[in-house]
Amino acid sequence: MTFGEYVVSRWGTLSLAAAEHALVVAIAIGIATVVGVGIGLLGFQAPKVRGASLALSAGILTIPSLALLTLLIPITGLGWGPTLVALTGYAFLPIIRNTVTGLDGVDAATVEAGRGMGLSAARVLLKVRLPLAWPLILTGVRVSAQMLIGIAAIAAYVDGPGLGTQIFEGLARLGSVNSLNATLAGTLGIVVIAVLFDAFFFAVRQLTTPRGLRVRP
Amino acid sequence: MTADTIAIGRSGAPVRASGLRHVLTPAAIAVVLVALYAWVSTLELDSIERRSLNREVIVAKVVEHLQMTVAATALVVIIAVPLGIVASRSRNRFITPVILTAGNLGQAVPCIGLLVLATFVLGVGFQTALVGLVIYAVLPVLRNTMVGLQQIDPALVESARGMGMTKGQVLRRVELKLAVPAILAGLRTALVLTVGVATLGAFVAAGGLGELIINGLKLNRMPVTIVGGVLTACIAFFIDWLGSLAEKLLKPRGM
Repeated sequence: MTFGEYVVSRWGTLSLAAAEHALVVAIAIGIATVVGVGIGLLGFQAPKVRGASLALSAGILTIPSLALLTLLIPITGLGWGPTLVALTGYAFLPIIRNTVTGLDGVDAATVEAGRGMGLSAARVLLKVRLPLAWPLILTGVRVSAQMLIGIAAIAAYVDGPGLGTQIFEGLARLGSVNSLNATLAGTLGIVVIAVLFDAFFFAVRQLTTPRGLRVRP
Repeated sequence: MTADTIAIGRSGAPVRASGLRHVLTPAAIAVVLVALYAWVSTLELDSIERRSLNREVIVAKVVEHLQMTVAATALVVIIAVPLGIVASRSRNRFITPVILTAGNLGQAVPCIGLLVLATFVLGVGFQTALVGLVIYAVLPVLRNTMVGLQQIDPALVESARGMGMTKGQVLRRVELKLAVPAILAGLRTALVLTVGVATLGAFVAAGGLGELIINGLKLNRMPVTIVGGVLTACIAFFIDWLGSLAEKLLKPRGM
């Protein structure tokens, strides 16, 4: 069976696995973005919160994914539980770091102008700093997403969802008829998902960047 | 994979390295290891667990794991740093966006997929794991070397040229020295990444601590898995700590 025939004949399985892969990454990224940007906003004024959250999220990222996924089994069981928890944990560092960096990087004169117009400190943060930092925050989210898409493949080993199942199936049946096809389908499918996510983030960036930032040379 | 997967712009100076952290990390690792030892010695191990959780096996697995990590990282340095230098030369600028995009998307390529695909070509074993690991870790180091060299103030290069240095001398004495922090950051990322990915080497019969993780899971012996996982994490933290020390010590004076 050629690779093409394999993909056609298993289309149902493959597309379901791909959809689950994208879904689990999207959920993890969604949670991590909301929490991470929140922490970034809080930590912006409080150096202790900032230092602690950055150190903690860097620490999580240092834990090897196979180790973290398996260590979570006694707590969350198999399947979606450890996958979601581990992926969400891994996503924090780029998001928090870019939020903090982006908020910091806003031109002091712009902030001063906001204050001069009578905005409160909180409103300056939300109405001036956040929109200006948004492109950088979005880059952090995008970096996280790319990372998670790759890590999610390993989740199949703890019975998690996604295209990793194809890779592990190929591994389990090494040497049999469709093992190469399954591995290729899993790996290439994940790359396709990564490209689609990247395109999505590019579109979001174009649509949500404040107009003043877009027209600047 | 801390550090520089997120190298965006210049302002992203990583928040790290208070003096305290240099003592804190090894202390925390030691505490975790002692706690692990104490916990395991309170358990009554059955014969299956005893077969994995004894000194010879654990030492052998740690050694295999480190061998895999160190060999892969050495190869990555040999491949990626020269390529990064070549890519950073001004006549090769056209390749910059390609490498940056590949560096981002490359993160998403599943390393387990690479390992299994390498198995189809090379069969199972140490060299297969090595190939998979190297392919996976080359991009971050390549990208950091390139970006590190490109970020150097052109005025500095210009003045070195004006002092009569040849292009080779400028590269060796000025550019590479100034790019050391960026290259080291990429290397540290690659090392920590490799420690983690080396656990997957067990899937292609290359040994390492992944074997404990997988065996424990397969035989339903959680202590074996936990020992493998915690040891791997400790090695990763330890290597990250060594990397932070190296970054501090090897940074050229004056920067």
